[in-house]
Amino acid sequence: MKILAIVSQTQDTEAKIQVSASGDSIETGDMKWIMNPYDEFAVEEAIQTKEKHGGEVVIVSIGPARVIDTIRQALAMGADSAVHINGDSFAETDSYATGAIIASEIKKLGEFDIIFTGMKIIDEESGQVGVQIAEELGIPHVSLVSKVSEINADAKKAVCQKEIDGGHVVVEVPLPCLITCPDAMNEPRYASLPGIMKAKKKPLTEVGIDDINFDGLGFGKESVSKEGARVKTTSIEVPQIERKLKIIKGSDEPMVKGEEITKSAQELIKLLREDAKVI
Amino acid sequence: MSNDVWVVADLKLDGTIRKVTFEALSEAKNKLVGKLGGQLCAVLLGSGVSGLEAELGKYGAEKVYVVDSDLLKDFNTEGYVNALGELIKQNEPAVVIAGNTVFGQDYFPRAAARVGAGVAMDAISIDLSGDNKLQIERYSHSSKAIQTQVFHGDKTMMATVRPNSFKDVESPATPEVISGSVEVNPADVHMKVLELQTKESDRPELTEAERVVAGGRGLASEENFKYIYELADILGAAAGATRAAVDAGYCPYDMQVGQTGKAVSPNLYIGIAISGSVQHFAGMGSSKVIVAINKDPEAPIFQKCDYGIVGDLFDILPPFTADVKALLSEG
Repeated sequence: MKILAIVSQTQDTEAKIQVSASGDSIETGDMKWIMNPYDEFAVEEAIQTKEKHGGEVVIVSIGPARVIDTIRQALAMGADSAVHINGDSFAETDSYATGAIIASEIKKLGEFDIIFTGMKIIDEESGQVGVQIAEELGIPHVSLVSKVSEINADAKKAVCQKEIDGGHVVVEVPLPCLITCPDAMNEPRYASLPGIMKAKKKPLTEVGIDDINFDGLGFGKESVSKEGARVKTTSIEVPQIERKLKIIKGSDEPMVKGEEITKSAQELIKLLREDAKVI
Repeated sequence: MSNDVWVVADLKLDGTIRKVTFEALSEAKNKLVGKLGGQLCAVLLGSGVSGLEAELGKYGAEKVYVVDSDLLKDFNTEGYVNALGELIKQNEPAVVIAGNTVFGQDYFPRAAARVGAGVAMDAISIDLSGDNKLQIERYSHSSKAIQTQVFHGDKTMMATVRPNSFKDVESPATPEVISGSVEVNPADVHMKVLELQTKESDRPELTEAERVVAGGRGLASEENFKYIYELADILGAAAGATRAAVDAGYCPYDMQVGQTGKAVSPNLYIGIAISGSVQHFAGMGSSKVIVAINKDPEAPIFQKCDYGIVGDLFDILPPFTADVKALLSEG
């Protein structure tokens, strides 16, 4: 089987964020870059699929030169080769152009059976790119798959389980298809030391903006920029919600104990009724 | 391109319309329709959905486009993308809005890609810019930042909106019903829903609940989650959990609140034995009132809540729950 995993690089969620001087982006100066956590599930699922069914795993990633670290991590986990769509302008464009360009490069890779990617990226938190890529490729997608219960490469179909609002569905989908991976779909492996050594020698294809075939994309090279975006982020703020911080504590030690227990419960109810007016 | 604003109805598994649909209709009427000068329309997609049009009219829909087809049964993504895509191509509305539900996140961006429209996901406000382009606000970066996004170009502008972000306000209209203008193309539907199980629950859905009671790993067992359910039921609240509690097997994944679970913004959020990680706050940090009960005085949640008790949940909850029950039954 030919298995693809689309991975992105993102900022660590624990990071304290600061708005850049331009006011429309987040300062990335000394931020730690990591593989988008949802894409780790995608890479793991791709590798497990290969282990079960044979074949190869190809990583596809878009972004500036720094993205190579994330690609190497995926290769060290066990992927076989990678395509890096490399350019600074890709970090500035909108989700629409990103998805269309990734899809156009995937088309150049020839036939494939299945694509895995994370349900969303944790910085933008939009979750539209994976689904859009499936549309551009003209293949079905199943989003938020909790488990791929069956892949039949010969019959060219897969069976997936997914959670929806208020229920659970089992879907049969023909291959090739694209699957988006939610949290806890599997347990992503760590890259081993030999894995890291081997990753350095695995084939890596670099694609620049001039290699992209814009005919048929519906937009030109100039659209791969902040200015060319269909949906433009014009400002970004870090809101400070003022909280009341009315905390009831015990008199001797922080925890309320003994007689204080019922009193504290009554006090909290009073606050919720009279101060917050929510019950 | 017309000046109409569309809202796609979001249906529950029992076939009723989700509140987010009424919220979106109300906010679209309030913020977009007057300035754009077109009509407020609803889109009703599904199998056996005819009959729900009047309910959409109650919240101001002047026109309802209906596609009622077997191919849309069981929330078949491809059927929805086909139907909505064709309707948009035929009528070229200015704006299309849907709820940012699990299903909305699934079919809606794909429908946008099909018609070449830009799409903004999970908006918490909708408005128009000076030149009448859709302008939205949304959370990003683990909900630590709010982005303002503005649409450009002359294509249909599409957005999903977060449930509980707007008030649903009745504004009765008798909608014109346009049925059968689009047929779902069977050749476009490749996937099959083999099975659909509905989870029976009398509690409201997490994303649309006005109150949420959630538990963390400190609950220590699946059985102890009864404390969460009991308080939730008395308050008419949805029940939630942290990732740690879900990973420990105390409750199912669909209860998970946080970056990797559901985003909620209720009026009242009560977190029991929840430490308050960045990732958990990414899913509930916008709640209007946050209450914490935790025995660790150093838990980060005590730095970012409104009210709290430093105490053992097994001590505090029984009298707290009993007193809330007594209070609410007094009326």
